Amino acid sequence: MPLDYRRFNGPDDSVSYKRFTPDFLKSYEELLGDLLEKNNLKDEQASDEAQRVFAETDTISQAKGSAYVEIKNTKVVCSVFDPREIPHQNEFSHLGQIYCEVKFAPFSCSSQRRPPAPDAEDKALSEALRQAIEPAVCRHLFPNYQIDVFAYIIENDGSCLAAAINAAGLALTDAAVPMYDLITASSMAILDDKMFVVPNEEEEELAMKSQESKDINHGVITLSMLSELSQITSFIQIGSLETDCVIKAMDILEKECKELVPNIQKVVVRNVIKNVKRQQILHESAKEMEEILDEKYNLWQKSLKAKSYLCFSLSFFSLLA
Amino acid sequence: MTEAADLKECKLKHMKCELNVLSKSDGSAILSQGETVTLISVNGPLDIKVQNQSIEKCYLEVLFCTKGGRPSVPDRYKEHIIRQTCESAIMGSLYPRTGITVTIQELEDYGGLLSCAVNCACLALLNSGLAMRYVFAAVSCAVDETGNVILEPTYQEVMNAKARFNFVFDSRNKNLITGFSEGIFSEAAYEEALEMSRAASDLVFTFYRDIVTKYSNVI
Amino acid sequence: MTHACNLEGRQRLQTSIGAVLIQLSRFYIHTPRHALHYTHTHVDFRCSKYHPFRVIHPVRYFTSYIERNVRPDGRKFDEHRNIKLNINTIKSAETSALVKYGNTTVICGTKLELAAPKAEDPDSGFLVTNVELVPLCSPKFRPGPPSDHAQVISNVVSEIINNSKFINLKDLCIVSDKLAWVLYCDIVCLDNDGNVVDACITALTASLKTLSLPTVTYDPETEEIKVDTNNRISLKVNGLPVATSFAIFPNCERSILLTDPNTFEEEMCGGNGANITVSWNNGFLCGILKSGGGTLSIEQEKEAIKMAKERTL
Repeated sequence: MPLDYRRFNGPDDSVSYKRFTPDFLKSYEELLGDLLEKNNLKDEQASDEAQRVFAETDTISQAKGSAYVEIKNTKVVCSVFDPREIPHQNEFSHLGQIYCEVKFAPFSCSSQRRPPAPDAEDKALSEALRQAIEPAVCRHLFPNYQIDVFAYIIENDGSCLAAAINAAGLALTDAAVPMYDLITASSMAILDDKMFVVPNEEEEELAMKSQESKDINHGVITLSMLSELSQITSFIQIGSLETDCVIKAMDILEKECKELVPNIQKVVVRNVIKNVKRQQILHESAKEMEEILDEKYNLWQKSLKAKSYLCFSLSFFSLLA
Repeated sequence: MTEAADLKECKLKHMKCELNVLSKSDGSAILSQGETVTLISVNGPLDIKVQNQSIEKCYLEVLFCTKGGRPSVPDRYKEHIIRQTCESAIMGSLYPRTGITVTIQELEDYGGLLSCAVNCACLALLNSGLAMRYVFAAVSCAVDETGNVILEPTYQEVMNAKARFNFVFDSRNKNLITGFSEGIFSEAAYEEALEMSRAASDLVFTFYRDIVTKYSNVI
Repeated sequence: MTHACNLEGRQRLQTSIGAVLIQLSRFYIHTPRHALHYTHTHVDFRCSKYHPFRVIHPVRYFTSYIERNVRPDGRKFDEHRNIKLNINTIKSAETSALVKYGNTTVICGTKLELAAPKAEDPDSGFLVTNVELVPLCSPKFRPGPPSDHAQVISNVVSEIINNSKFINLKDLCIVSDKLAWVLYCDIVCLDNDGNVVDACITALTASLKTLSLPTVTYDPETEEIKVDTNNRISLKVNGLPVATSFAIFPNCERSILLTDPNTFEEEMCGGNGANITVSWNNGFLCGILKSGGGTLSIEQEKEAIKMAKERTL
């Protein structure tokens, strides 16, 4: 790897200390056992995943629109900026473009430090995010323009793409970008007959690892949809799954996405109320200003009429001097 | 009278300078302070990319080339310091929508590279004939283990110093334009260093005057 | 008499929108009814970035406030913004700290790694601090490798920490010439509303102060490394470095120091970020950086140092 001369670099051969802890040496089977055991305990509680989402808009003061979404431990912050002309383009494009960038914080993953420069996973997620939110935006309304959407994953504990899509959708609504519907996303990890809705990092990791010896279902599915229109904007599957399994998973995910909508709506409504209040203050201030303006104008008019031209010119010159 | 005595006390490293060393650039200077040598060329005002253009002032670009040639983060920091210094001195509003490029080449570094570069930049700017609010002079200082303040330290002194300072003053009120420190030091040491440097900056301004007199027919 | 005359003449001349707005904003400041709106906790439309006057003529907008000894967001010249600190919110990092200076949000996460020490310095570990100004924190930053500005901030922050001797690198060494800790501190700016350096220093010191190192056993013969995460020793720190930044507004007779500037103030003062940063640790200065902005006289420099010192007490 070429040396990054724009940052301070540590030694080349540094490795995370977690490599030397006993946990690191656990085999796949052991990890799976641990996971299932944990899961059995968890099943009793039968938690509702949609309730575990925390969302907030208007987190970044400098951005046009921004949102912060927390699903389990995964934390994503997303900001959207004003449309700007597409740089380096000769042809006129009828549809506006959306530029997405997803980035992991260097400390976002528990296993090792991520290199600060964007890697393949960052780029893949950026592309996935773009594909997911593009159908939701009325792109024909801003031809030849580009909207920048930046998502930053502060902590990754599984289903970060779903969190990023939710955050991007909220940030776009906060920025008042015209959209067809609210966009929500959810993800699921599948391992054999087990389905983990909104998986955490270890569930996701285990589901992604392929077991060559056994021919079982395993993989991660992320689905985003426009609930009111009942349209799926993107479906991303990693791993190998049987058709029946996929259909079943999609049904569950669709339900999940729908359940998420009231949550998101609440946040949006809160945002609208706040903006309406702000608008009112703005209007009131404008009115006040206008009144004062009128008052002053009348005053000037009067004094103009009352005083002689000579006096005016005198004061004019004294001002110049 | 005391001031004159003070001036006699503070001795700067021997300075040598030549202007117009580069034939192709608008202004250039090579300056040696003791054994530290820098070469600077100034070009501008020139046409620049539309995105960098500003209708209020000129765009100033500073490039710092080290002896080794490899760029690093501390080099960007040096560029930033020189850029900020030059920007406050140049009357940028006279050259809107244009760019000025200052290229610095480090030739030898035996301590006080940055102050040498700043002084050299000032001379190169004078040579280029750009309008300036004031000229500026940089002086370097060091605090040794015992807490004594050394003006214009030698290479050995720099290496052993507890703290190092660089100050840049303007020629009008001797106010501080730029200053930065390395290391850990007490408030008293800082103030002493600042005072000494302020007094010593006069010597640099005198040197500028001599150089400009010498080259007045060229500039 | 001449003064009154002047005023009248000026009033008559105010026909352009910009001029009228100047008059209005002056009027507002003098109206006691609106005094409440000028405290920075109450975000009012008049201080917001959408104020028409600010959009039309930012420089006049700014100076008309400064002339009346108040800043556009209602603070006094030497007033700080509210600081919020949240420690260890991120589980994936070893320790983390989220710091807010008003709107400015900075998050610092540390990661621990092991490596062989440098051959020329076999008894020292590594402390690698980087500041990332991601494009989402401000419209000024574009995606891509760190800009010059980001590199400058990175350098300033790491210089302050290294100079302050906040942590002794020797403490990070486990076995001389064989094994040492590498402490990666990544500071990310999520919202850039000015004074990033101060926020970075606060975040960095907070996360280093809470850091504890797992015990490591190293077998020199087999070169086997074992890490016991249950047995942790907290990292020794020395003092608490505090950086205080000011923007310097070049006024005709005397420059004005603005404590804890926001982005708009930084822009108006013509610097790339804050103009002067003074850092104290343990009663010693560990970094004074002045760049850009107005020039400083001796008294003002002392004033800045004093104000920064008061903050550390």
